[in-house]
Formats: sequence, structure tokens, C-alpha cells
Amino acid sequence: MDLGIMAKNIVDIIAKYWKVFLVEGVSNTLVLSFIAVFFGTVIGALFALGKMSPVKPLQWIITAVVEATRGTPMLLQLYLYVFLLPSMIPSLNDIKNADWICVAVALVLNSAAYTSEIIRSGIEAVDKGQTEASRSLGLGKVTTMTSIVLPQAIKNILPALGNEFITVVKETSLASTFFIGDLMTSYLKVKGINYLTMECLIITGAIYFILNFILSKILVVFERRMKARA
Amino acid sequence: MLSIKNIYKNFGDLKVLKGVSEEIEQGEVVAIIGPSGSGKSTMLRCMNLLETPTFGEVWMDGKLLTPIDPYLHEEVIKASNTFKKMVAGGMEEETAVKEIKEKDLLKEKFSAAEGKEYGALMKKLYKENYIDINFARRDMGMVFQQFNLFNNKTIKENIMLAPVKIGMQSRKQTGLTKQEIVAAAESKAMELLKRIGLESKADVYPSTLSGGQKQRIAIVRALAMNPKVMLFDEPTSALDPEMIGEVLDLMKELANDGMTMVVVTHEMGFAREVADRVLFMDDGMIVEQGSPAEVFDNPQSPRLKDFLSKVL
Repeated sequence: MDLGIMAKNIVDIIAKYWKVFLVEGVSNTLVLSFIAVFFGTVIGALFALGKMSPVKPLQWIITAVVEATRGTPMLLQLYLYVFLLPSMIPSLNDIKNADWICVAVALVLNSAAYTSEIIRSGIEAVDKGQTEASRSLGLGKVTTMTSIVLPQAIKNILPALGNEFITVVKETSLASTFFIGDLMTSYLKVKGINYLTMECLIITGAIYFILNFILSKILVVFERRMKARA
Repeated sequence: MLSIKNIYKNFGDLKVLKGVSEEIEQGEVVAIIGPSGSGKSTMLRCMNLLETPTFGEVWMDGKLLTPIDPYLHEEVIKASNTFKKMVAGGMEEETAVKEIKEKDLLKEKFSAAEGKEYGALMKKLYKENYIDINFARRDMGMVFQQFNLFNNKTIKENIMLAPVKIGMQSRKQTGLTKQEIVAAAESKAMELLKRIGLESKADVYPSTLSGGQKQRIAIVRALAMNPKVMLFDEPTSALDPEMIGEVLDLMKELANDGMTMVVVTHEMGFAREVADRVLFMDDGMIVEQGSPAEVFDNPQSPRLKDFLSKVL
């Protein structure tokens, strides 16, 4: 393999198809990841609170969902949702981006299952004395949670949540199975045109790496700022 | 003012409190001493329901904090079907009540119709006397062994949090604006910090303070709610020896100001000097109590004698 030719090919591909990679691929990957992490965190937080609530049936249901999600492959879940959701909600078939939506739902629920465990352990890691002090002052459960426990839990959670974000960015690549326009789909498209597999893989890999590198740097800044506050 | 009646507390199979009753009077300083594992802290924590008693009732200012304990109310026992059956069987009323209490007979199942009067009476008693625990706790400050200052808040915010939150909740009744509530809480917080000479620490986070400073701030944080009674759970046990003095001095000051205080402590000197009454607990019961002079200089029970010989 001639490295010189390879480098030239890479430059050519970037010059010709940068729009496919950056505009279409990166934007889709980022939007999907953001949706997955944002709603995953919100739903994950609800799962975590539900799991810590005294209502037993709620605990069981959430535990079942979380364990099923964590115990099966992401790819299998993607297939499941892409086939299951349209059969349950027929109107989905009329929408152009039905696959995209199904994939997003699958990613959100997958992310929620993982973040719920992260959040639960983060909340449980906050010293019980903090809750007791707050309750002993006459503050209610909700105020105690929102003013005292959650702000401290977030500090515990943030590093793990950052890792989850990075994992999700990479997991969105599985969605290319359904050709929904993420970065890995861009790779499949461009490779399909010029058959330069190695070069396309290197470009795609580099973009994923840069995305996650920037992301992890942003998270480090966040963490440092949180630490500086206490 | 604060009374606990026949409190039992079980943690699983472990029986920590075995029927303690106590009445704390207004302005009184009560010290609770005893070996570790004797249930001192659990009893204190039952007083503001940080631990829920398994049986028994807690009353604060004539208001009930726990569910009704039927065995503590003769009229409830008399409304029960068990009692009626016993009396119908020819038993004296007094004997029946006694028997039911001793043999724990109210647990007997009865049909809904049979239990109607009993249930209605329980509900009525509860409704008349019950107060929401979050309201009751505003009158009961608590100080912990591990200080438990809020790590995510500055010292000033620590002190202001509860007055502001609760001020906002009752804004409709008081008609105050948010600014007024915050300003009042802030000036109160600064006044309290000044009192303990720590106003320079208002804007730092708790992690930068010494143990003694943390505990004094924990005390004024509780005082910011203007409590009627202060509960101290071994306030000096986690402190370095040279910092114990400053915390005890503040507590003495409070006692001199007439604050009602219940103090679980290993500081016998403090108990002897400041307390009006000393309770000695062992094995989940109050074994002996009296004035400091009586308890320390003339102990009656062998267990107290044994305990004092070890700690004094």
C-alpha cells in the first residue's frame, strides 16, 4: 500500500465529499447524540427517582426495563424499535423520517437505562447527613432533593455522564444499519461511490475522534468549574 | 413541651429502644448519658422523627407527630371489639384494659363493621392532634455529630436556606415579597455569624473550615429558624480536643439564654455544669435520672455506678 497515494486520495475525498461527512453526517450524529443524552438523562433521572421511591411495583417495572436494556445488544434494540414502533403506531409509516425517529427512541431509552444507574448511584453517594440536616430544619422531601441532594449528586455524576455522552456518540454509528444519515452512513455512501474503503474509514474515524476529543475537553472544563465551587 | 410516650424502636430484630417515656419542660437543659449502643442517639432522633418509632407517640407543644398508638389511649382501647367482648364476658373494665395492654390484644382481627367505632375514634384523635412533621421540625433545631453543613452552599447560604425556603412557602399568609424574605434571612444570618465571631467566613464553603467552626455554624443554622427546642446529638464527639471548648461555650451561652435543650453527650463535665436534669440510658431504657448532683455524686443503680467509674 502506497501511503503517498492514500494521503492524496484522502485529500481528494475530503475536497469532494466534505459536505456529506460534515454537514450531513456530523450534524445528524450530533443531533441524535444530543437527543439521546438529553432525553436519556431526563428519563434516566425519572427512572432513578422511581427506583428509589417506596412504590414497589414501580421499582420492579423500572428494574425490568433497565436490566433488559443493559442485558441486550444496542443493535438488537435498534432493530426491535425500528420494527416494533411502526407496527404499534401505524401513523409512523406515513412519516418520511420514521426510521430516524425509531432510532432516536431506541437511543434515548438505551441511554436512559444507563444514566438511571449513574444518577441513582450519584444520589446515593451523597452523605445521608445532608438529607437529615435539611429535613431537620423543616424542609420537605422535594426541596431537600432539589436544593441539597441533586446539586451535590450532579458533581458525582458528571464524569460518568460525560463518558455516557461519548459512548452514545459512538453508538449512534450503529444507526447506520438503517441508513439514517449519521456519520457512519456518510462513510457507507462515500465508500459506495469510490470503493476507497481504507481512506473513507480513516476520515470517518478521524472525525469521530475529533468530536469526542472536543467533547471530553469541554467536560473537563465543566468538571473543573464544578469543583472550584466547593 | 416535648414529650415521648412509650417509644419502642426496632431495627429489624435489634431492639434499640424498649419503651422510653420522657417529658422535656420549657427552658430545661436535659443531658442524656450512657454507654454507646444504649439508644441515646436513637431516642433523640425519634424526638424529631428522623427515626420513626416502631411504637409509641411523640408530642411537641401539644401536637402529635406520630400516628396514634392505641395502647396509650384508654378510650381507644375501650372502643375496641376485644374490650367489649371481655366486658361482656364479665370482666371488670379496668382489668380488661390492663390485660389488653399487657398481652398486646388490639392486633386481633375484627370485621370492618365491628371496628367502625374504634377506627372512627382513632381517626378523630389523629385529626385533632396531628401536625405535619415539616411544620413541627421548624420548632426543633438539631445539631449532628458530623456537623452536616450543606457542602454545596456557602456558610451564609447554609444559614439562610431554611428561613428563605420556608418564608417563600408561607408567603401567602405573611404577604412578604421575596426580597423582604431574603433580606430578613440575610440580616439574621449575619447577626448570628457575628455572635459567634465568624462573619468573615460568610461567603466561604464549609470544606475550608475547622471542625469547631463547622459545628458552631451548624448550631446557628438551627437557631436561624428560631426553634423552641434544640436537640444535640453528640455535638463534640467528632471534634479535635482543642475545639471542644468553643462549641461547649456556645452551648452554655444558649442554655443561659433559656433555650430548651436536649443534649446527648459524652462530656460529663458539661452535663454536670449545665444540665438541669441528667438521664442515664442503658440497653434501650432510661435506667436512672435526676439532677446532676444526684446522678453523678449519688448514683443508685449498679449499671450507672459501673458506667461512671469508667468515664469519670
